[in-house]
Amino acid sequence: MSIFGGINTSASALTAQRLRMDVVSSNLANANTTRATKAEDGTAIPYRRKMVALAPTEQSFSSYLNRAKGASTGTQGVKATRIKEDETPFKLVYNPGHPDANADGYVEMPNVDPLKEMVDLMSATRSYEANVTAMNATKGMLMKALEIGK
Amino acid sequence: MDLFSGTIQKLQNSLDYSAARNNAISNNIANVDTPGYKAKDVAFKDVLKGELDSISAKRTDSRHFQFSNTELEGYRTFQKNGSMYNNNENNVDIDKEMTELAKNQIYYQTLVDRISGKFKSMQNVLRGGN
Repeated sequence: MSIFGGINTSASALTAQRLRMDVVSSNLANANTTRATKAEDGTAIPYRRKMVALAPTEQSFSSYLNRAKGASTGTQGVKATRIKEDETPFKLVYNPGHPDANADGYVEMPNVDPLKEMVDLMSATRSYEANVTAMNATKGMLMKALEIGK
Repeated sequence: MDLFSGTIQKLQNSLDYSAARNNAISNNIANVDTPGYKAKDVAFKDVLKGELDSISAKRTDSRHFQFSNTELEGYRTFQKNGSMYNNNENNVDIDKEMTELAKNQIYYQTLVDRISGKFKSMQNVLRGGN
């Protein structure tokens, strides 16, 4: 167990939560983007909502063995494994004047729900704050340990 | 006569335990949004002794690991089971973790104060009260 194990754990979580916030920002910014990519036939494909997949780090054999022996506190921190795309269908909006409207006058809009994004943003912010508190606690303990024998 | 009379050793073990516990709690808070993550906690070994003695592995070689480990550390990490899961199979209770974090911090600071006090009184004796 290293001295800064606790701080590194919290730091990895801060990075992961910040990435979640960035992805939410990207989703909100592209809530009306109808031309994110192009299909092979040249038609525009709208923006797909993105989500961050999180997993605990250090899933090596030795970490499992140490955990089974009770020697370590197991995994250290969290990491973002990938950014997944939301596969739910696009919203169809009737808007014949839109440049990307099809023959019937319907436009495919991104599957971004601003309400859902705001909930995700709040969740990420709160987790971020909790991890800042945890990091400050670890820092306080390390500083206190320096006082031993003073 | 033992100069430190075992107190320092006890305080040191407790500091180790408290530091390990802080790591476990930090880890739980870091993984509060991780699907499938199970919360972990650290306990003094004598608390878990009954549980540890109940299982023993049949070993064909003396170098094999035992189920109940005989390490020097006085604490053991275990996974918290039996608590309610969120719908993503994560059982971290953030309110509880934050409370434990605050408690553990105070516990640690108390131990450091005690260990410092111990050294101070020893220093006092060495100087003959001057």
